[in-house]
Amino acid sequence: MKEKNGNVLIIGAGVAGMEASLLLANSDKKVYLVERTSYIGGNVIKFEKVFSNMECATCMLAPKQQELLANENIELLTLAEVIDVKGSAGDFTVKVRKKARYVDLQNCIGCSACFEPCPVSVKNEFEEGLSERKAIYVPCPGALPNVPAIDTENCVRFKGKDCQLCKEACMFEAIDFDQKDEELKLKVGAIIVATGFSTFDSKKTPHLGYGKLADVYTAFEFERMFASNGPTEGEIKLRNGETPKSAVIIHCVGREEKGYCSGVCCMYSLKFTHYLKEKLPEIKIAEFYSDLCIPGKSYQKFYEKTKTMGPEIIRFNEIEVVRTNGQLTVNYKPDPLTPKPQTLNTDMVILAPAIEPDGNANKLAEVVGIPQDEYGFFAEGHPEIDSVATQKEGIFIAGCVQGPKDIQDSVAQSEAAVGKILSLR
Amino acid sequence: MEKEFTPKIVGFLCNWCSYAGADLAGTSKLKMPPSLAVIRVMCSSRVDPVLVLRAFLRGADGVLIAGCHPGDCHYEKGNYYARRRFALLKSVVETLELDSERLQLSWVSASEGPRFQQVVTEFTEKLKKLGPNPMQEKTSM
Amino acid sequence: MPMEEKIGVYVCECGPNIADKVDIDKVVETISSLPSVNVVERHKLLCSEDGKKFLKESIQKNELTRIVVAACSPKQHEVTFMKVCESAGINPYFFQLTNIREQCAWIIDDKEEATERTIRYIRAAIRRVLYHKALEKKEIEANPDVLVIGGGIAGLSASLLLASGDRKVYLIEKTKVVGGKVREFAKLFPRMEPCSDIISQKIKEVENNKNIEVHTDSEVSEVLGFLGNFVAKVNTSENKAIEQPSKQAIKEKGLENKELELKVGAVVVATGFDMFDPKQLPQYGYGKYDNVYTALEFEKMNAEGKILLKSGKPPKQIAIIHCVGREKVGYCSRVCCMYSLKFANYIKSKLPNVKVSHLYTDLTVPGKTYQKFYEQTKEKDVEFIRAQDIEITESNGQLTINHKGTHNPKPLNADMVILSSAITPSSDAHKLAEMLNISQGDNGFFVEEHPKLAPVSTSMEGIFITGCAQGPKNISDSIVQAQAVAGKILSSIIPGKKLELEVKTSEISEALCIGCQTCLTVCSYGAIYFDEIKRVCVVNEVLCRGCGNCVGSCPSGAASSKHFTTTQLHQEVVEALR
Repeated sequence: MKEKNGNVLIIGAGVAGMEASLLLANSDKKVYLVERTSYIGGNVIKFEKVFSNMECATCMLAPKQQELLANENIELLTLAEVIDVKGSAGDFTVKVRKKARYVDLQNCIGCSACFEPCPVSVKNEFEEGLSERKAIYVPCPGALPNVPAIDTENCVRFKGKDCQLCKEACMFEAIDFDQKDEELKLKVGAIIVATGFSTFDSKKTPHLGYGKLADVYTAFEFERMFASNGPTEGEIKLRNGETPKSAVIIHCVGREEKGYCSGVCCMYSLKFTHYLKEKLPEIKIAEFYSDLCIPGKSYQKFYEKTKTMGPEIIRFNEIEVVRTNGQLTVNYKPDPLTPKPQTLNTDMVILAPAIEPDGNANKLAEVVGIPQDEYGFFAEGHPEIDSVATQKEGIFIAGCVQGPKDIQDSVAQSEAAVGKILSLR
Repeated sequence: MEKEFTPKIVGFLCNWCSYAGADLAGTSKLKMPPSLAVIRVMCSSRVDPVLVLRAFLRGADGVLIAGCHPGDCHYEKGNYYARRRFALLKSVVETLELDSERLQLSWVSASEGPRFQQVVTEFTEKLKKLGPNPMQEKTSM
Repeated sequence: MPMEEKIGVYVCECGPNIADKVDIDKVVETISSLPSVNVVERHKLLCSEDGKKFLKESIQKNELTRIVVAACSPKQHEVTFMKVCESAGINPYFFQLTNIREQCAWIIDDKEEATERTIRYIRAAIRRVLYHKALEKKEIEANPDVLVIGGGIAGLSASLLLASGDRKVYLIEKTKVVGGKVREFAKLFPRMEPCSDIISQKIKEVENNKNIEVHTDSEVSEVLGFLGNFVAKVNTSENKAIEQPSKQAIKEKGLENKELELKVGAVVVATGFDMFDPKQLPQYGYGKYDNVYTALEFEKMNAEGKILLKSGKPPKQIAIIHCVGREKVGYCSRVCCMYSLKFANYIKSKLPNVKVSHLYTDLTVPGKTYQKFYEQTKEKDVEFIRAQDIEITESNGQLTINHKGTHNPKPLNADMVILSSAITPSSDAHKLAEMLNISQGDNGFFVEEHPKLAPVSTSMEGIFITGCAQGPKNISDSIVQAQAVAGKILSSIIPGKKLELEVKTSEISEALCIGCQTCLTVCSYGAIYFDEIKRVCVVNEVLCRGCGNCVGSCPSGAASSKHFTTTQLHQEVVEALR
């Protein structure tokens, strides 16, 4: 009989993918960790704090990230995508396309001297466009690996100009324009897909004003605004630079459109009240919700603590955000209904959009050969009793790729996928 | 011209949050007064009172203990113990006829580079006002 | 002062990063003039291959015994340089990295000041490294076998993944049968799949697995030891005689109490849940009125066949009340809305014409498929009333539900009421918590090591929690957690492989310890025990994670952190202040 291949491919280096990689590596498995972006940590490293213990996310994740980068059993492939999977459990052949970073991971010491001379300035997508970055960049200070990448779409050299200012600034010969995109062929016995989530595009709910009204923000925009390593170094301010005196947080954005409750938006919306009150104790806050979804042993306590911080917590039936005479106004029908619709003026609005499958989920599902459910999440082997397995033996799913969930449940799923893999011997 | 008094601060920084926050301040090139000598410890709870008192006896103008924010401790609740010991230590420091303001406990997370800069800068300013550690002369004799 | 050492100091320029901001010539000159230092070298990038080679050769050539590197943050290259030391033949703990980049070059504007600070840091490191002690990695044997407490769906699932050729699982179940509460369920939400097939399949697999030893009618009475080396005592009164033909045999065996001693490397707590007892809330009339049922009672009634009133007649109007006990327990149990919806489906499939009303506060239907189940249930002509302050009365067999509904506060009539109670910790959770030295939260569920990153571990290494023992959850999540426990155990305790221990642990001097046990109370990991004979505290290096809290708490100076001893830190401080 053919010897089973013990190597494991993990797709996605967010909190779920990292946990699975570390566990497998510690049991002496060779792990290939394929990450689409240039950094590890996924969406969680964008959070300043996590509910409900309000722990600093960087403090929580950094030791894991460092452990991962130092682990010799883990081969991290950043800027990489899986483009083909062939074979079956115990014997998969995987093709990975790895884009050139143009900065040598070994030589670069992360001093950031190359940023300054770069003539390009574009919106930083990691910061939700709230700040600018160069064409050679790390997404935010503290990102790991602390090695920049060149964004060839914006770099003038890759548009034909003879610019090499970054290279000249680098004292370590780390910048290498000659790097080429590579196609790697990996042999693995099992695969974990942990590619996480995106959020519902708030522009699809035009009545909430996002994209049209300046001070209507999405949850991620607000997260980055509050982040101490973010574009405002954690200062909460309006587009005109002023400090808001009032804020409205709207839950369930996109719930109706998606047809499911994401299970985490109420909690992170409540977290926003903590954020706001921490920086601006005088700010007036209203949280608009439809059903308060705070399941589990510790979440209601968090809700009760949030209530003592004084936000108005209003159940709504219908809601819209408009601007009248330069003032943001929320028009809403409360539940229970009052004879007249109500209005509330506010300086800023924060939308809590639903969790949805990652933008590349369809493509990846096809490559890996895993069916998606009607919402686009990856379908599990059996929803009630085997949610980390898939219909394809040897391929597992963990975290939000399977469905919306919080960090705890994502980590549990990644550990579960490891359990399934290690029990197959 | 006489050189301006730069206080000497001993800073006990926990490995997981505050030391990482200090590192981030460094990588972000945030400028600070050259007052602080960082002593890395694994957890703020490791800082036993003896270490702090010895630092004062050896002439430290200020002692900073920095750890993870409450609830964030890498070792579950070490920082709560640090906080309790700190409260006690403050009163001990006063019995040495030192202003207890010379001992400071701050929470700095791994993402709070700017906060670390602020803590160091403000503590330095405070100590400048308080002047040199008065015990320095006594003990150096 | 320790004996003569040959010290080498290596200053990294980090390209321009340090060299531009710090006057390295002056640093080298000053440090060279120190009497205790043998070698002072600078290098443009010590972490490069060339730098590492240079460092190694210099250590060997000069036969150095202590190394100081002045470079970047230890987070970046401490391990790198420790490896170089090792390869050069010196103990990696005879090395100190001092961070002159993040803490001098990059944050101090004035070059003179940055230089002065750098010299100070290097002097402090030199002084510290003189007091370093050689430390060695330690390994222990670990028993790969596992004790699983609780034979419900979580315990069964964990056992199945854990049991393999070279690993034995002991599954201990308090009651007569394994399968737990799920055995009582007719169907699973939201797909209304029959439950019995699933559970009996699992039970069969467990029974057929020769690496799983099931003990029913058994209870764990004691667990001693630690990760890799636990010894558990199990009281068992099980009758292995079930298959024996005569009833007499069962009786005799049944009387026999045995005590088993099991040696395992890890313990899994999968003790499930209880349901909130609605008698605690008299307003619901449970126990007082005939046709008020708890959820489990209704589940059973449905599973047994017919949904009937106590009178034997079929019901006409059924009210399902959500959130029973939620306020009292202080949390949302996550599953009650869903199982209430399942009940409506039970009822509608058996008695399509019965009027079903849900009285709820907030609909908790998290996850990708649950809202759809709600919508499908609603389409079956099921009423949903948002209600508060519910009170049930009865007259002439007719139940009336008074409530402050937000839309329609009219009293509601029903002839049957089902109370969807909260999930509570199992009643003997406190006994286990004490036995295993793991903690319970204020709501009684066992506390995980980290609420985000370590949901099935506890602060006692080697002891794991899973399923509803950790917190209320549905079957799918319970199984995930059970599989997660398997992931944690299978990846850490591997047959034939030794456990590598933390090097920088605490230690307690027998001579200095006064036996006050303060350290024992502050330790989060149960890593300190009291030696009753010697009357001193002792650190268990298997469990210690090296935080040093015990050292901070020790009134007699007996406790010490390896590599962070009071002397080492004090010497560093002294020199930094000089």
